[in-house]
Amino acid sequence: MQDAVLMSPVAFAHALKKPVSGDVNGMQTALSFADADVEATRSKTLSICDVSNLNRFGVKGPQAADWLKAAGIKLPETTNSWTSQENGSLVMRLGNTEFLLEDKPENQLAKTLSDTAVEQSGVHKVLRNDAAFIVSGELTPALFSEVCAIDLDNGSLEDNRLVMTVIAGVSATLLKQTLNGQSVYRIWCDGTFGPYLWKALLGIIEEQGGGPVGFNFYYNA
Amino acid sequence: MSSRIAKKRGEWINRDKPLTFEYEGQQVQGYEGDTISSALWANGVKVLGRSFKYHRARGILSFANHDVNALMTDGEDTNIRADVWPVSNGMKLEAVNTDGGVIKDKNKYIDYLSPFLPVGFYYKTFYKPKRMFPFWEDKIRKAAGLGKVNFNYPRHIKPKRYAHCDVLIIGAGASGLSAALEAAEQGFSVILVDENRQIGGSLTYDLAGDPAATDTLSTLQAAVESQANIRVIIDAYAGGYYGDNLVPIVEKSGITKVRAQTVIVAAGVFEQPPVFRYNDLPGVMLGSAAQRLVHRYAVKPFNKGVVVTANDHGYRTALDLASVGVEVVAVIDMRRDGAAQDITQKVKDKGIAVHKGSCIYEAVAAGDKLGVKEVVVCPYDETTAEADTSRSVRLACDGVAMSAGWAPAAALLYQAGTKMRYDDSIQQFVPAQLPESVFAAGKVNGVFELKARMQDGRRAAAEAMNYMGKVVAVDSVKQSLSSSPSHPYPIVNHPKGKNFVDFDEDIQVKDFINAAKEGFDNIELMKRFTTVGMGPSQGKHSNMNAIRILARIRQLPVEKIGTTTARPFFHPTPIGHLGGRGFHPHRYTAMHQWHVDNGGEMFEAGIWMRPGFYTPAGVKLSAADAVQQEALAVREKVGMIDGSTLGKIEVFGPDAAAFLERFYTGKFAGQKVGESRIAMLLDEAGVMLDDGIAVRMADDQFYVSTNSSNAATVYREMQRNVQLWKMQVTLVNLTGAMAAMTVAGPASRSVVEQLTDIDVSAAAMPDGAFRTGKVAGVDARLMRVSFVSDLAFEIHVPYKAGLHVWNAVMEAGKAFGIRPFGTDAQRLLRLEMGHHLISHDTDGLTNPFEAHSDSLVAMDKPFFIGQRSLKILAKKPLNKKLTTFVLDQGFNGELPNECNLVIDSANNISGRVTSISYSRYLNRHIGFAFVPPEQTNDGARFQIRTDSGAMVSATACNAPFFHLLES
Repeated sequence: MQDAVLMSPVAFAHALKKPVSGDVNGMQTALSFADADVEATRSKTLSICDVSNLNRFGVKGPQAADWLKAAGIKLPETTNSWTSQENGSLVMRLGNTEFLLEDKPENQLAKTLSDTAVEQSGVHKVLRNDAAFIVSGELTPALFSEVCAIDLDNGSLEDNRLVMTVIAGVSATLLKQTLNGQSVYRIWCDGTFGPYLWKALLGIIEEQGGGPVGFNFYYNA
Repeated sequence: MSSRIAKKRGEWINRDKPLTFEYEGQQVQGYEGDTISSALWANGVKVLGRSFKYHRARGILSFANHDVNALMTDGEDTNIRADVWPVSNGMKLEAVNTDGGVIKDKNKYIDYLSPFLPVGFYYKTFYKPKRMFPFWEDKIRKAAGLGKVNFNYPRHIKPKRYAHCDVLIIGAGASGLSAALEAAEQGFSVILVDENRQIGGSLTYDLAGDPAATDTLSTLQAAVESQANIRVIIDAYAGGYYGDNLVPIVEKSGITKVRAQTVIVAAGVFEQPPVFRYNDLPGVMLGSAAQRLVHRYAVKPFNKGVVVTANDHGYRTALDLASVGVEVVAVIDMRRDGAAQDITQKVKDKGIAVHKGSCIYEAVAAGDKLGVKEVVVCPYDETTAEADTSRSVRLACDGVAMSAGWAPAAALLYQAGTKMRYDDSIQQFVPAQLPESVFAAGKVNGVFELKARMQDGRRAAAEAMNYMGKVVAVDSVKQSLSSSPSHPYPIVNHPKGKNFVDFDEDIQVKDFINAAKEGFDNIELMKRFTTVGMGPSQGKHSNMNAIRILARIRQLPVEKIGTTTARPFFHPTPIGHLGGRGFHPHRYTAMHQWHVDNGGEMFEAGIWMRPGFYTPAGVKLSAADAVQQEALAVREKVGMIDGSTLGKIEVFGPDAAAFLERFYTGKFAGQKVGESRIAMLLDEAGVMLDDGIAVRMADDQFYVSTNSSNAATVYREMQRNVQLWKMQVTLVNLTGAMAAMTVAGPASRSVVEQLTDIDVSAAAMPDGAFRTGKVAGVDARLMRVSFVSDLAFEIHVPYKAGLHVWNAVMEAGKAFGIRPFGTDAQRLLRLEMGHHLISHDTDGLTNPFEAHSDSLVAMDKPFFIGQRSLKILAKKPLNKKLTTFVLDQGFNGELPNECNLVIDSANNISGRVTSISYSRYLNRHIGFAFVPPEQTNDGARFQIRTDSGAMVSATACNAPFFHLLES
């Protein structure tokens, strides 16, 4: 596939906020929405960042776990949990036989796997089109209390657990991780819902005094 | 501020912050913390509204969020409850339901017509003649006694939040506070909700003059405020109880949906008014209302008054009134034996006369019925509810406090499924059997003494903790009440009536008697006939008395009468709160912004946003013309539609083909790689659910499409059946991961071949063929399909590259006059081709035999979903069949609509139109209709009845319709 032909599923929803955009992983991406100080303040209060451009690899099938292990990948032991590789790539176990891997910008694990031909039966690549967001800030519980029915205060996301839930009416995967020393929430949903979810979350975030931050806030592109 | 008294311990007003507002054109002073009613009362304003039906002057009744005759309008807001709404600077208030102001209300004459307006009057009067009903309906609606709806009301988004806890406690009185502390101290998370602006419940007014009780309250408040495990939500009410302990908490700012492991209802009781003539005059109020005025707002309820009571609470009320300088003329006790000696003596020590076995026969109105000037006191016979008027005494006064008993605030307990019983010792319904994980404490549980209420709160918390697995000792609670807190029948008969039971709807005792005479002698029927409890307070002050009256009419115990059904919401809740912030998810294709930028008129197609048609900027084009032009482009040149909404599912595994054979009606085992077949799905009854294309990509891999609206359903059914059938199949839903577009029309090949390395020639890629390769440099799946055109290519690419490929096709198609086309043109094009749409041309009963889909059904397979039903159906004659039809050449009459009926020669319904459209390409009206099977033969004529009743002739016609061009 050619570079620079890809669009974040959220791209047209970003446009209203007139971000500084750039090309990351061949995808047009919102790099920043405001000055660094403003974004830093937003991030502490309540913010959302579109990271749909990160490389992802999905795989499914009865032999998927063995195939990944054979590729030297450390897997979460249980379903609905995640782990990170030494290079920082995330590996999420979405089911007994289903996995989602996501690279950091500097990593190529997911991309390499995507480019690898799978010959083994019982291993099926899953084409991904996730809208992916980072949500951070001290008011995050207030945001989630409005969009998500599950109790995030009871440790449901501790110990590298992830939950598949409904956020603002959309099926999503949710986990909590530490990024650049900051505790953040990660959300993945079907990309076709991405613009809707971005607008729904951003509307509440802005009401709470927060706002969007660009990709560069978390990752140096 | 004539009625404001000296500062009191625990008062809720801030005297350092005076406020000014306007009421009916009059400037009024108040303090921060005042409610509208308290500020007005403090200023000597005692007419706060007019009653719903008779427009009688009304003042404070409950002062507890149920004074529905004191509703105000303030600018854009209306139906503001004056008894609880805080005052603010600059308010401009007017009472609702008046014509000419609350004092000079022109409609007050209706009170004099009341003998002619009994309950049932509307039912019996306005139902005929039928043609007059709209006239009367308009009049009745305008007369409805609430504020005028402001249709320009701005939308204030009210969020709906979720919260979770171990113990949800409803009511922060003595029992609720005690329960909260007990559970929180054991480490449980507690949410404590109260409708008042401060916690404390009845301790903030009843017993508030008792220093020991006030100290108890202070101790409880301090302990709760310092307890980290307790979240207090005040100024909010629990709106209802739903399954698994889901309770919506309604605050001014929005609703919080609390999911709790356990729920303790400590909601207390509503004070009930005794019923006597003119018990509704301004100045006649419940004892607890008088106490609230005194202790919370430092307002003297009246200057000279009486207390009519049937319990000890009335005596406490009298003492509270006397303590703030009210001249209490008498305590009138309806009980033959009166109260206990000690409290009676306390009252007498204040110089207050006590009349046992007496009642207020009637309150006498001051001028123009705007207040009280005296009461008529008579001996009272509790068994007959009759006053002995021969021994009446008149007592001059300007106010009456009433304390006759209580009704439990048990709505949530009822909704949770609690079985209640009537406890004769306290004359109150109490829980008999609570559902699992729901508990009751305090007065709602029949426990009235302060110490006992606190014990009962702790007992309920202990039971809740035990339920959650912590072993805690549960202490039993005992109380020793000297008398019942409620009177069994606090009603005083009066020949002239106006002894009000329901203040919302102006319902008098005689209305119940008349209702029973007419046969409405069941509590649910009586409720509907009299409308008791159907006003804004939902019977909180009337239902119990209504039950008592009915019980007496029928000579049955109260328990046999039962209660009406308690439904959520417990308290009127604004529509804006219920709606909240709307979450209405939409899916967007990768080309969405392109469509918008190029004049696409976007519509909701299920959950997707799709362009119906395009009207490019600067082009004047009607929708109908746009659709016809787009369709013509496909017929004559080339067009492209965004088909990303199609369901797209990959089926992997050694059992993939076998799975499809069982799942769909057709055969797939022998399908060659690179070929496609129609995949039709039925339900177990043989009804057509979906159709799509199944492409074989490898021996163990299929790529299946579904209708746009069915992707999730089909995928879910596949997942279910994979498990049910225990097949080695892996499913991947690619609906959102793949963009798709169909390039259709005679020039489509010429456009596509410029962009791809796939050989798209007719020989290399016949209809139905599937190939993979590059399109515009992107990995793509390419299919020959013929849904809208004989020559068409469906291009599937990763979503993220969708816009890039779309743009490339549009660019390559420029030279061929390519046009984008929307869903409206697509529907016309497929109609021209003679393709039906499942769920549009079929319904929830249509089987394949009725829709010319027999060829897609392989009945000789061992199994497929719906096969068994089809075997049965195949033996039965068909009643209807889908046919394509055409209207007569040059037809220019009233065009039938979809769903218009097909009428046979005997004027019976024999079918219906499912699709109809004009085709500019064919210059004919064409469509689909269900008709009797014999009318599906080419050339068969049938009649369609239009909306206006006109009959239109149609002719069954073979499809595709292009042969019509030759005629």
